[in-house]
Amino acid sequence: MKKNVLKRVSALGLSMVMVAGLAGCNGSGDSAEIDLEYGDPDDKPDEISMMVDTTITEENGLQAVCDEYEKQTGIKLTFEKPDHAKYYEKVTLSFASEEPADIIEMGSTYYPELANSGALWDMTEAWEKSKEQAAQGAQGVNCVNIIDEDYIDALRINGELYGFPMAAGNGTITYVRQDWLDAAGLQAPKNYDEFINMLRAFKSRGGGAIPITAAGLLNTETPYDIYLREFYQDAVPDIYKDKTTGKYVDGFGEPACLVCNYLGIDAYQEGLIDAEIVTNKTSTCRDKLGSGLVGAFNYWAGMWSLKLQRSMNEGQLVAIPPIEEANGYTERVPTALAMSVYAPKKAAIFKYFLLYSHDGGEGQMLFTHGVKDIHYKYNPDGSCEALPYIVDPDNKVEKSMFAPELTITEWNDPIPLDPMVKESLEIYRQHRTFATVPVVNDTISQNLADLNVVRNVVVANAVTGKQTVDEAMQYYEEKGGYYANAILDDLNSEANLAAEAEAEAKAKSSSSEDTADDAAGAADEAE
Amino acid sequence: MANNNDNFDHVIVNKPSIGQRMFKYRWFYLMFLPVAVVLLIFFYWPMLGVRYAWSTYKLKQITLRLGPDYSTGWGNFQRLFTSDPFHSAFRNTIVLSFFNLVFATVLTVVIALLINEIGNAWGKKIVQTVLYLPHFLSWVVAASIFMLILSAGTDATGADTSNMGFVNAIVAKIYNLFHNDPYVPIDFLTEGKWWRVVWYIMNRWKETGWGTIIYLAALSSISPDLYEAAEIDGANRFKQTWYITVPSLMDTILVVFILNLAKIMNIFESVFVLYNSLVYDVSDVIQTYVYRVGIVGNDYGYSTAIGLFKSVVSLVLVSASDVISKKVRGYGIV
Repeated sequence: MKKNVLKRVSALGLSMVMVAGLAGCNGSGDSAEIDLEYGDPDDKPDEISMMVDTTITEENGLQAVCDEYEKQTGIKLTFEKPDHAKYYEKVTLSFASEEPADIIEMGSTYYPELANSGALWDMTEAWEKSKEQAAQGAQGVNCVNIIDEDYIDALRINGELYGFPMAAGNGTITYVRQDWLDAAGLQAPKNYDEFINMLRAFKSRGGGAIPITAAGLLNTETPYDIYLREFYQDAVPDIYKDKTTGKYVDGFGEPACLVCNYLGIDAYQEGLIDAEIVTNKTSTCRDKLGSGLVGAFNYWAGMWSLKLQRSMNEGQLVAIPPIEEANGYTERVPTALAMSVYAPKKAAIFKYFLLYSHDGGEGQMLFTHGVKDIHYKYNPDGSCEALPYIVDPDNKVEKSMFAPELTITEWNDPIPLDPMVKESLEIYRQHRTFATVPVVNDTISQNLADLNVVRNVVVANAVTGKQTVDEAMQYYEEKGGYYANAILDDLNSEANLAAEAEAEAKAKSSSSEDTADDAAGAADEAE
Repeated sequence: MANNNDNFDHVIVNKPSIGQRMFKYRWFYLMFLPVAVVLLIFFYWPMLGVRYAWSTYKLKQITLRLGPDYSTGWGNFQRLFTSDPFHSAFRNTIVLSFFNLVFATVLTVVIALLINEIGNAWGKKIVQTVLYLPHFLSWVVAASIFMLILSAGTDATGADTSNMGFVNAIVAKIYNLFHNDPYVPIDFLTEGKWWRVVWYIMNRWKETGWGTIIYLAALSSISPDLYEAAEIDGANRFKQTWYITVPSLMDTILVVFILNLAKIMNIFESVFVLYNSLVYDVSDVIQTYVYRVGIVGNDYGYSTAIGLFKSVVSLVLVSASDVISKKVRGYGIV
């Protein structure tokens, strides 16, 4: 009897613990509240917290950058820099279980996801008001005049701004072995025929020469075609909004994409594309290039031109303009510094951190090159140079937070860019088009991962000849049609299209107001 | 009868109560307390998260602290059982894991027996060290080694064989001895039929040596008297192994097999580092699927449902094998 009572009491106790646990876990337990008020931009915060991913490491003096910022502004800057592989998991968890940082670095894939979830503060008003204040000659915001607004616009979602660009998104450009071109008596290709002829000439060198390599046939994130612009050409292997009909279509299933498959198939079957393209990682491609095996490789413009050249034992690498059919290179959506909706004094943080770090002066220097005499130094002749990393003395500091070659402001950077970096960027920027922020909603989140698996299978099977293009596309319809249609149905629903039209109209009216204001300002100045 | 009952009650009354017994063994309970706390916090408390399987729990619910939306009910399970990629992933998980488990059991036992036969102590240590080493490599390194040695070259026409891997180069040499037509390299990592073979080999290369440790320990506990008696009875080495060593190892084999059976749904890293879009149909497993929808797609409710399903399957497999073991051998491990 006693035993039974004890058992019952134990079971009851355990159940209560479980229920308490469920209840405890269920509660949000949030200490911070969402504050969407614009606030006073001059109400200087005492402290700003950041969560960063691609900045200089703690071992190399990230704390020194924060300390210097406090010295310059009187605001304490704290940071959290999780392991790169788990960065976005940590970002999500920070919203769930603790107070998220005020400012969060956001890559182009996660930026729209978090903006769509309502986690990021809409800073459109802050930007617009800063422009107004700058026009009136207010102090602390006049840097808006030196910021290239194309990069701001590149982060707009339905006209609203949920993040501030850290630097340009950058894009990829085709690098070619100049010495191989010279040996073949060829010029840099201008169109697809010349491009293919160049690859054939490279192949004819023998000795395992790989005419062109890439890491996969579809990139793992948007823009999916970025590494194979010469083959995708007009095709958009993704869901996009057709400007003529105003409706969303699946570009992967369109004839243009079939054409790209045909082009890819011909080149692959002829041995012009690296046979290991499907299993390649970007590091594998770079290794092959460094070993002197690769003739052409599409990779990031800017600093990577120098790194790739330095990785090569021999030969000269040159960045080339896009071929006619490729319609230019694609500028990725910039990495954003977004602000959590839980952050206090948002307008002030916008002014004292986001604008300050792009001020073209000491703020910009700090967040671009770091701290004087730790990360860079001035020589007696007045020139400025980067110092070696604290824990890697063989290499010089490339950036503290924002890559100098990808700056979004017009400023006089005292540390000159390497000529090769400059050249690749100049060629790239002459031919780039800005990618738009990918559309995100719950239906896309639910179906895109499965759809992309099918797409990868289809392109790989078609290009490597395991299926004919028709068979591959039939497979796409069978296996991927469900996911693609679910996304399209949602995006093309009347409610969604109406909401988008409303947002576009709102953005247009705001833009036309700006233009009118600018015109009025110009007229005033003229008077 | 009444007397009997009285006697029985007498025994019960005299038995120390649970409180008394706990007090008597209080120092043992105190010693166990940290373990119990760790178990509760890190193993049982997280299990409460299974409730998310019946909810919609995505980025929005997390970032805005709305909490899971339980109106979904069985929706996640409905989606799970009607999803083609999940069916494919489930099938691949079972096939890959089952064959891997069989190969693992057979190979580790055979190799442990062979190591046990090595008489020279130094030779034995060298062989053991060589066999254990791959275990300490990460899966990324292991996959990179296999990609290099199995490469089919970088020329899709097969005409330029300069960049072919070690295995294809050897096969090509042998092939060319008997054929006049050029050798077409085998693309081991993008051909579905070869990919699974490579995966099994990579797994066994990396883990077989490590798996022998437990069998070598079990082998060392077999009484030498048994071998001596068998030798006097005229049994040769093979018969000694078959009639003494293998039966003595059966208990260990059974325990290891059942414990490994519980893990068969958990393969991830070894697949993730080796698979590619040309072999998704034979290589995509439940864990890689969960990674895509859960981590990449931020669908935590759905991925919890998959995780729960996976755990239930593992529980059924372990329970079933334990029941079978009890029926066949008279005892199990649970």
